[in-house]
Amino acid sequence: MSLQLIRSFIANIFLSPFAFLRIILLRLRKGFTYTSEYTMPPPKFYHDDEAWKDVEPLPQDDGGMHPLAAIAYTEEYSEAMGYLRAVMASNEFSERVLGLTEHIISMNPAHYTVWLYRAKTISELGKPLQDEIEWLNPTALKHLKNYQIWHHRQTIIDALGSPEGEAEFVSQMLEKDEKNYHVWSYRQWLVKRFDLFDNLEELQWTESMIDADVRNNSAWNHRYYLVIGGREGHAPSEEVTKREIEYTKEAIRKASQNQSPWNYLKGILRAAQLPKSTIKSFATEFADLEAPDDVYSSHALDLLADIYAEEENNKESAEKALDLLATRYDPIRANYWNYRKGLLSQSEVAA
Amino acid sequence: MSLVSGPGRAGVGNMPAEMQLFVDKHVRYIQSLDTRKDELEYWLTEHLRLNGLYWGLTALHLLGHPDALPRNEILDFLCSCLHDNGGFGAAPGHDAHMLYTVSAVQILATLDAFGEFEERVKDGRQKVGKFIADLQDSETGTFAGDEWGERDTRFLYGALNALSLMGLLDLVDVAKAVQHVHSCANFDGGYGTSPGAESHSGQVFTCVGALTIAGRLDLVDQERLGAWLSERQLKNGGLNGRPEKQEDVCYSWWVMSSMAMLGKLHWIDGEKLTQFILQCQDPELGGLADRPGDMVDVFHTVFGIAGLSLLKYPGLEEVDPIYCMPRSVTRRCLGK
Repeated sequence: MSLQLIRSFIANIFLSPFAFLRIILLRLRKGFTYTSEYTMPPPKFYHDDEAWKDVEPLPQDDGGMHPLAAIAYTEEYSEAMGYLRAVMASNEFSERVLGLTEHIISMNPAHYTVWLYRAKTISELGKPLQDEIEWLNPTALKHLKNYQIWHHRQTIIDALGSPEGEAEFVSQMLEKDEKNYHVWSYRQWLVKRFDLFDNLEELQWTESMIDADVRNNSAWNHRYYLVIGGREGHAPSEEVTKREIEYTKEAIRKASQNQSPWNYLKGILRAAQLPKSTIKSFATEFADLEAPDDVYSSHALDLLADIYAEEENNKESAEKALDLLATRYDPIRANYWNYRKGLLSQSEVAA
Repeated sequence: MSLVSGPGRAGVGNMPAEMQLFVDKHVRYIQSLDTRKDELEYWLTEHLRLNGLYWGLTALHLLGHPDALPRNEILDFLCSCLHDNGGFGAAPGHDAHMLYTVSAVQILATLDAFGEFEERVKDGRQKVGKFIADLQDSETGTFAGDEWGERDTRFLYGALNALSLMGLLDLVDVAKAVQHVHSCANFDGGYGTSPGAESHSGQVFTCVGALTIAGRLDLVDQERLGAWLSERQLKNGGLNGRPEKQEDVCYSWWVMSSMAMLGKLHWIDGEKLTQFILQCQDPELGGLADRPGDMVDVFHTVFGIAGLSLLKYPGLEEVDPIYCMPRSVTRRCLGK
């Protein structure tokens, strides 16, 4: 097994919501629950520990900007980091190093170098991978938005070669945060790595997630991935198309002002190469131009505007739908709807 | 630059009826961040230090106070994060990674310090460029974040961003990278972290940014993506990152910059968004938060201010939507 066991991955310049930066910020906002969370076991120190007496901790090199500031580390974290630097410098891979990395991860799971060294150690010692997964489970549940943990997990499951137990674990994670981007990405990876596209349980599970919250865009995205997106551009069969259209219609009837299923429906039609007019009468259930006071979905109006625009001699209806959007049902995007109106007259000129 | 949040909260002070941007307060807030080393959070966020410096420095430039941080100390710190392989770590002693390397290049560009960097490190730019180029997967065209190989469209964007600023784009296979970005396009018009992953505004920014740098915006379904992006605006004026999620000031940047690159910024209500961003300020101690009532931090501070700059808020320096840097800086580096 190679060092490929791990990678680090990190925070981000770019994507706060799915990076552990978030965790830190949340923690800080909650009045820094960090302390209460981890001081339950008393602080652990190494300087008076027999097992570590041969190691001289390496002090922090702060890079010269404000070297004296290093004293501000809390003692426990600072000391543990000193021992980590020392074992890294001497390339020590041992049981006690595993314990040390676990300790530091419990204090600061976002420190990517620690994960890296833990993976190296596991690899060098030839530790059973299943044990590592068992150790990871509670850690992952504690740190929902941490990148490192997911990556660590993915590499280990890949090496193990079996997704057994993973579906249950993912469900457990999603109970805590049903739109967690890492968890859904990981689920996609499982589907692809172990070819679960035609696994009926996977589709049923996705359905149960949508049933639980019909507005969960991540669940809709996963469904699309299963049915179409992950299948290398193959168009869905007539049967699948019909099933998906009916399923989505039902979901829209539960909550008509819900972007996700409308987007999904349009996606299915496009993949099956069907015109939008296929669902014209369905859309009219939610937005009838004859009853402009009773529009139940701006998304239906939007779709109808497209359908009318494609019909012969029905630009007027399209314009009416777009006007309703710009003035009554979605005025915050008035400029967008007016732009769409402009396209109507352009196509008239072109015709 | 410390990422310690607070001490202030947004929108809880006496916000004047006529909303305004508290420029001087924000400048002092950013300057104060590195004086908080007696707090544990300062050290727990060490693995983001170089990113934080880029965020703070960029905010100061946009606010019109480019000299508010000590230039030489920044360069000293930056060089202390450099590894022999040409990559930068988040702080001294942290492993080299794409994200910090990009921040380092952006800082050098903003400070107009490539010359000094070369004096300190022989063939510095070439070395950094090689570190980045070596992270490209020659088969798929995408980029890893570090030698351990996690792949994400953020890293691809970061690579093109930094290389173009140094004039070294020819070190990588841009056409292959473009192909990879294109494979991440979703049925709703947006982009995710990898093919099939859910559309997310942050990821849209990185993909549209990469395609813009590569001159391949023709590959984007601009109407559909523009519509999806404009749907991110909520009734209170703020923007969210995905359907049915809460608004957050940082999406003022990810969503708006993407719309600006597509020439569709006017599709959202700029006035309402301006008001929302201004409500996220701490009017007393400075800084911006993700939404009113929350703790401020430097991350939301820069993206809030950059968002206001895109909205042409008076008195701010113009920001480049592709790079999230002052437009004057990118003009100097790119010659256009």
